Amino acid sequence: MIRVVTLDEFEPRQLENFTKALYQAFGVGSEHTATLPAPAGLNEPYDAVKLIEAMPRVPAYEDDKVLFLTSKKLADRDLPTGKAPTSGFALQGRDKAVVSLFPKKNLEEGFKFAARHALHQVGHLWDLHHCLDPRCAMYPPWTPSFPNGEPIFCAFCREKSEQKIRMTKS
Amino acid sequence: MELAAGDRVVYPNQGVCRVTTIDEKEVAGQKLVFVSMQREEDGARVMVPKQKLESIGVRKISSPEEVQKIFAFLRADTEKADLDWKVRARTNLDRMTGGGLQGLAEVVKGLQVLSELRALPTKERELYDNARHLLVAEISAALDIPECNAEDAIDIALFPPGKERPKRTPQEFARGGAEDEDIDLGDDVLGLEGADLGLPEEAEAPEEEEAGAEAEGEEAAPAKKSTRAVLSDDEETVAAGAPLPEEAAPVKRKRGRAPKPKPAEGAEPAPPKKRGRPPKPKPPVDPNAPPPKKRGRPPKSAAAKAETKSDTKKKKK
Ligand SMILES: [Zn+2]
Ligand SMILES: [Zn+2]
Repeated sequence: MIRVVTLDEFEPRQLENFTKALYQAFGVGSEHTATLPAPAGLNEPYDAVKLIEAMPRVPAYEDDKVLFLTSKKLADRDLPTGKAPTSGFALQGRDKAVVSLFPKKNLEEGFKFAARHALHQVGHLWDLHHCLDPRCAMYPPWTPSFPNGEPIFCAFCREKSEQKIRMTKS
Repeated sequence: MELAAGDRVVYPNQGVCRVTTIDEKEVAGQKLVFVSMQREEDGARVMVPKQKLESIGVRKISSPEEVQKIFAFLRADTEKADLDWKVRARTNLDRMTGGGLQGLAEVVKGLQVLSELRALPTKERELYDNARHLLVAEISAALDIPECNAEDAIDIALFPPGKERPKRTPQEFARGGAEDEDIDLGDDVLGLEGADLGLPEEAEAPEEEEAGAEAEGEEAAPAKKSTRAVLSDDEETVAAGAPLPEEAAPVKRKRGRAPKPKPAEGAEPAPPKKRGRPPKPKPPVDPNAPPPKKRGRPPKSAAAKAETKSDTKKKKK
């Protein structure tokens, strides 16, 4: 189960489309579980790593994946090779990720944008790595073409996610 | 190499492990020192006689300085894979079994640059993913940063922000006539003596790459492979038929690497499993497309339009 936890208000119908996109991509149930305030003391733009650490526990089963969705900006990360533009972050192979809608105003305007970034980060939770196919949601997300793509995986990434999901279920 | 409990080491082709114990055991009347290790990503355990560590290629984790050199290498535009798949397969096999960080970076960089010329055949796409997985894990451990930051650091070098990847021409890959000799690839990649982490065999010889070679690029001719919600592309992963049952997966693993599907000869695709997902609308059937995949996920909307491609079944021998 993918549990979407929102940090701001989102229009319910748009949120439903968003969880549906996750369901279609991974084939596992996806729902909006809760709306929680951002951790106290965390200022915009949010540090994605700290945000994930500081969020309160969400009631979830062991194999559930929790995706935090915010409309606030996430801070670029300073990495050893340069600044990484950051629309999301995930704990690779584990259970928590965050995605930001910024700079889109709402889920209607930013549906594809948010869904594609969400697939990317949740993909990392199932241990997917970056992909060579520019059409795939696991393509590096700061590439100019990424935000215009569909919320969809290439055959390889889809297959790999299926295997991972099957392994956790069995 | 002197090791102590708690040290982090790299086991070629398997990843970052932590030394748990080092103790002496008597085996057939002979006293041997055994090093026990546990793989960090999934807890898989392995015990190796100390005297074999070197021949296996177990080594300490790279230093931050060594990682910086890897980043410089990834940034540079030098690594051109050999266009002869046999030469390439042997080179990459050596790099993977060698177990060095530089070797992993060369596999990743080489295959990425090659993919800018043409789509990778399935086996090489898997090899690319395996090498990337090991590279990310070691860089994350060496720099003590989250894996996603390690992967992004790698890709900031490989895919600099603001740019799309270049299109390559075969001339860029030109080199002095590669020999077309036959090599026996077998299963050597994981033929690690003395220590079996119980992983399924992963890296194998890539199949003939005609499929990849015929494709004129990733965008050129997406193949309709299945009815699933997935991009069709030139990778043959989907056309490979049903994956083998998961008996290859070791019992101990909790969330290790997935067993790779193998092109089972004459294997019939397993019937789609019922998972309580919504019924699929039936998209138009492509007569050339392989049978639907075994696991029915909800179908994708019309987003990824696909065309027929005739070479999708080539890999079945
Ligand atoms: Zn990523
Ligand atoms: Zn992909």
